[in-house]
Amino acid sequence: MLLIVAVVLYPAIALVRASLARYSITGLYGGFVGLQNYARLLEQPALPTVVANTAVWVVTVVAVTVVISLGLAEFLNQRFPGRRFVRWALIVPWAASLVMTAKLFVWIYDYYFGILNHALVRLGVLAAPVDWLGEDATVMGAMIAVGIFVSLPFTTYVVLAGLAGIPDDVYEAARVDGASRWRTYRSVTLPLLRPALAVAVVLNVIYVFNSFPIVWTLNDRNPGFGHDTLITYMYKIAFKSAVRDVGLAAALGLVNVLMILVAVVVYLRTVPWREVEA
Amino acid sequence: MNRRRVLTLMVSVVAMALAAACGGGSGQTITVVIAEYSKDHTKPFWQGLAEQYTKQNNVKVDLRVIDWNSIDQQVSTMIQNNQRPDVLNLNSFSSYAKDGLLYSATEVLSPKTKDDFLEPFLRGGEYQGALYGFPILSSARAFFYNRDLLTKAGVAGPPKTWDEFVDAAKKIQATGAIGYALPLGPEEAQAEWAIWMWNNGGEWKNAEAWAINSDKNVQTLSFLADLANKQKVTQVNPGKTNRTDGAFQLFKDGKVGMVMGFSPLAAQLDKEGKVSYGVAEMPTNTGKSVTLGVEDYLMAFKKKDNQDAVKKFLDLYYQPENITRWITAEGFLPVTKSGLQQMSGDAKLKPYLDALPNARLAPTTDPAWDKVKVDVQQNIGLAVQPGGNPKEVLDQLQKNAQAASGR
Repeated sequence: MLLIVAVVLYPAIALVRASLARYSITGLYGGFVGLQNYARLLEQPALPTVVANTAVWVVTVVAVTVVISLGLAEFLNQRFPGRRFVRWALIVPWAASLVMTAKLFVWIYDYYFGILNHALVRLGVLAAPVDWLGEDATVMGAMIAVGIFVSLPFTTYVVLAGLAGIPDDVYEAARVDGASRWRTYRSVTLPLLRPALAVAVVLNVIYVFNSFPIVWTLNDRNPGFGHDTLITYMYKIAFKSAVRDVGLAAALGLVNVLMILVAVVVYLRTVPWREVEA
Repeated sequence: MNRRRVLTLMVSVVAMALAAACGGGSGQTITVVIAEYSKDHTKPFWQGLAEQYTKQNNVKVDLRVIDWNSIDQQVSTMIQNNQRPDVLNLNSFSSYAKDGLLYSATEVLSPKTKDDFLEPFLRGGEYQGALYGFPILSSARAFFYNRDLLTKAGVAGPPKTWDEFVDAAKKIQATGAIGYALPLGPEEAQAEWAIWMWNNGGEWKNAEAWAINSDKNVQTLSFLADLANKQKVTQVNPGKTNRTDGAFQLFKDGKVGMVMGFSPLAAQLDKEGKVSYGVAEMPTNTGKSVTLGVEDYLMAFKKKDNQDAVKKFLDLYYQPENITRWITAEGFLPVTKSGLQQMSGDAKLKPYLDALPNARLAPTTDPAWDKVKVDVQQNIGLAVQPGGNPKEVLDQLQKNAQAASGR
């Protein structure tokens, strides 16, 4: 009980208290100001862009990760020589710290020194190098690619666990009924994977929404807020923008938590994810 | 029965941990927060100083060396949590002075130290007539150029005027290298911008009022935008390039003809020995070259019973042999008269020491500067992007600055 109060309740209360207060540039607590921070939050001109960015970021990364993971999990479920090695190798992007991975990609994507440009130009795919992290059109795509890269291991393992839980006689029955591979997959495997998929989607939505290191590191050189998500925007409000207002950032923090809670509850209510009768 | 035992165990562990953290030994501790100027010199020097101080005064020192990218956030967090440092080294001070958090010089500095400060730096640390930001070191920017690339492009010497500058940049760009590396990304855009702004006769402020969007400044920013988009003599996306991993890195690799640098960059170039470079004055559009001087500060926070301990610590640092030893190791410039005397023999520092009298400081004495500085850092790069609008960006910065000042 003490632990729950210390680790969960106290920070939550501190956040609410901060969002209802005024802070000076230095971080000094300035007194209670009611809901003023929330009102000011809605007035921020960058907010609509940031919200749109966050929606694109979360939806794309989670959707593409789940689709690729389904395929990867099927692949890793088959028996082939070296399967164990491939399964172990899959853990690497997940085990490496997000900041390290993001920094690595910053250098891969770099206009002058990056190997991506070097390789693509040499192969003739590109006529000239592209500033992946500088051009407004490509930044989001570049960040999403890294997001997918680091989310794949976890999602694949969840789906693999789900696949392992499907009993063999179900497939027997389908084969006896004369169903094609694709039909089997669609009507037998996928419905039985629903609980695993629900876990994967919900957890990924939460992780990706809250993901700070990837967006922060890859977007580090860009001015303005054009490619920020709600999480990095909140950090910038607190420390790095002209606003430099801890109270406003706390208000946004609380809004973020509520938003993700609502999204998860809505998902669990609308999507049929309960155990399907085999 | 089991649950109760586990609970008791947990409580006693927590209690012991708390006791260990708070109680500790007898005697005081002061927290000293220093910015990480370099990986090689900052921590060793301050560690040594802290040990010397503890031996002399029996007061322990909790030394924290924090890199520039996170020091603002960490200090803000410390203050939010009421865990203020005792001594802080930062590049701004007036917002802390405004909040009444600092000791003034009369309370913690010996008169001998205060008299030793060079005049411009003394003035740069005053807030409402009293000295709160004690100068710790300074740096001045200079114009670096790659001798080989200039020769290859047929440019006789470093440009002195803006017209000569554009001409040189075009010639260098035509040889396949980058003419000028312009870093206006969020790391330190306000420094690069300030130099260009001053060399066209513009200013941050006109007397007491902000003048960020003056006509001269709009002209300057449009000039920079044209460098990037019309004449195309810069590296790609200058609004999204930072100084350290962008412009400097390219110059160190020999890919860039001209860049604005400072003495630590010279030290790195000398160590690597790859690029044959020269140092000159900034090209100017007004006939009088101006450069940016940066003054970093040491400040002392008002806390119960720490005045004496802090005073002794500051006295130790400001002893001429200590302060000059560190500044020389880091490659920076002196802020004291005695330091200037001791370091004027160093030939490598000559261009910067000569530039010091003409160096201008940022308006750090205005508490609103902390917000304006970050605003400029974060947003001015947008103006030099293709399709960027310099006048709009400056108007917005001006509006935010006026709001931050309450004027």
